[in-house]
Amino acid sequence: MKYELWKTGSSVLATFGLYSVLYRENKFYRFFEHIFLGLAAGWTLVVIWVEIEKDQWWGKMLGANNDAGTSMVQSGYWLYAFLVPIGVMGYFVFSKKHNWISKIPIGIVLGLYAGQQFQAWLQRYGPQISTSLKPILPTTFTSITVPDNPVPGEVYFTQALTNAISLFTLLSVVAYFLFSFNENNKLLNRLSTSGRWLLMIGFGAIFGTTVTMRFTLLIDRMHFVWIDFVRDMLLRR
Amino acid sequence: MSIGEKLQSLPKWILFLCLIVTASVLQFFNIPLPNKPQDPAIDYYAFAMSIPPGSTVLVSSDWTNSTHGESGPQFDALMRILMRRNIKFAVYTTADGQAPQVAKDEIRRLNEQRVKDGERPYRPFEDYVMVGYFPSAEGENLAMSINLRSAFAGKKDFPEGAKEPVDIWQSPVLKDIKDISDVKALFLISASNTDQIIIERLAAKVPLVYAVTGISAPQNFNYYSSGQLKGLVGGLKGIYDLEYLMTSGVNHPGADGKIAVASTRVPGDVPPLPGRNQGLGTAYFPTLHAALALMILAIIIGNVGMFMARKAQGASK
Repeated sequence: MKYELWKTGSSVLATFGLYSVLYRENKFYRFFEHIFLGLAAGWTLVVIWVEIEKDQWWGKMLGANNDAGTSMVQSGYWLYAFLVPIGVMGYFVFSKKHNWISKIPIGIVLGLYAGQQFQAWLQRYGPQISTSLKPILPTTFTSITVPDNPVPGEVYFTQALTNAISLFTLLSVVAYFLFSFNENNKLLNRLSTSGRWLLMIGFGAIFGTTVTMRFTLLIDRMHFVWIDFVRDMLLRR
Repeated sequence: MSIGEKLQSLPKWILFLCLIVTASVLQFFNIPLPNKPQDPAIDYYAFAMSIPPGSTVLVSSDWTNSTHGESGPQFDALMRILMRRNIKFAVYTTADGQAPQVAKDEIRRLNEQRVKDGERPYRPFEDYVMVGYFPSAEGENLAMSINLRSAFAGKKDFPEGAKEPVDIWQSPVLKDIKDISDVKALFLISASNTDQIIIERLAAKVPLVYAVTGISAPQNFNYYSSGQLKGLVGGLKGIYDLEYLMTSGVNHPGADGKIAVASTRVPGDVPPLPGRNQGLGTAYFPTLHAALALMILAIIIGNVGMFMARKAQGASK
């Protein structure tokens, strides 16, 4: 319990230390900021060795473990050793004379990534393109809004309206990005202006949710300080 | 200095202090709010409840303490659903080296809570495995779609009380899984861009169910609308919805015979989850409203101040 108290107490102190920057830049804040950065960097280094390099590369290279992860005696995949010089070549980006060497690993990575992107793009946007084609005319007027038990396949007025707004947004935003068309086309200009407005509304929504996320983080920290530490740990001891 | 100018030049630290006080004081009160869960959250809950007990799912836990306010309650709610329904899960991350430890801490805390509530603790290696961290989200998720066994090869986890780690493929969680299509779903809790990478690499192979931060929610609604996601929980509103659904169910008559949440999207009755369901999402939601009200008030004060100052300037000219 004493250890838990000290641990949580230190976290509370660090929380106040980091939030103290809201008042002004100060040494208390800087101290905790450096602790945080040091811990994060150190932790990441260890994790990369323990979780990845040790078993996935070093162990396999030396024959200490195979693909199934079990210990075994074998000659090892010695070709894995060639990954080191390829990785080291990347650091030549800091050399003025030999920085061409760094372009080799960068090229390999870019080639692999570019090759994947065809499939990735289709998988990401393909379904969105096909589902953008929605009916914009209602097929029934038995109810304006979607009733509790809608008839399958029927398009109600509010559904059609939503679909129409969605389609208009899609077309106007696409028009906004058609820079190679004649600017004197009035229809395209108006569509493009609508697109700009609708984009602004979209960005506003994203900005709004960003603000709520920051607020939620503060609320979470205050919950940790007042409920988890003060109420549940200090007052109920 | 006129009143208008004074209103515009309130010191920043006073506003921050008001915000901190608001965010602190309301934590001590349990304020119920009316709620109408959104369709993406209803689909999330209905899908999670449709997974057969005993089957295995993947959990991509791509968040750390920097988004604990939103991702923490999302992770807790998902764990509660999976644990109570005896669904096995394997947790991996491609976002951050700290994420596996954060997930482990949350599972340990939830297990302590389960024991207190009289439920059985979820056992490491038997009921769930920690696969760990992979540094390249693109590479790892692509490898998973091609050959899951090869992608997770060499990863080990500790069975309960063991001193030496054991290969994760020997665990009851994964031993019958040959391919990613054998996994019933991939649940993502994300505070990074892995939401898009997983759609690009895995959408065709396994049903995806997302819980994302408020910032990522608007773009993920596109993937939900197009059917690429089976369900979506976005930000604090999403988690408030999910905790509400865990308590009320969908199309499920309560003790008074009334249905709290009715939805035509979900066929039949999806029952509530017995036990403790309301967590941090329910605790934070009223406080968030007060904080947002404070922000709106500050914007109004600033604008009133600006108009008063302009009026005073106009009068003096």
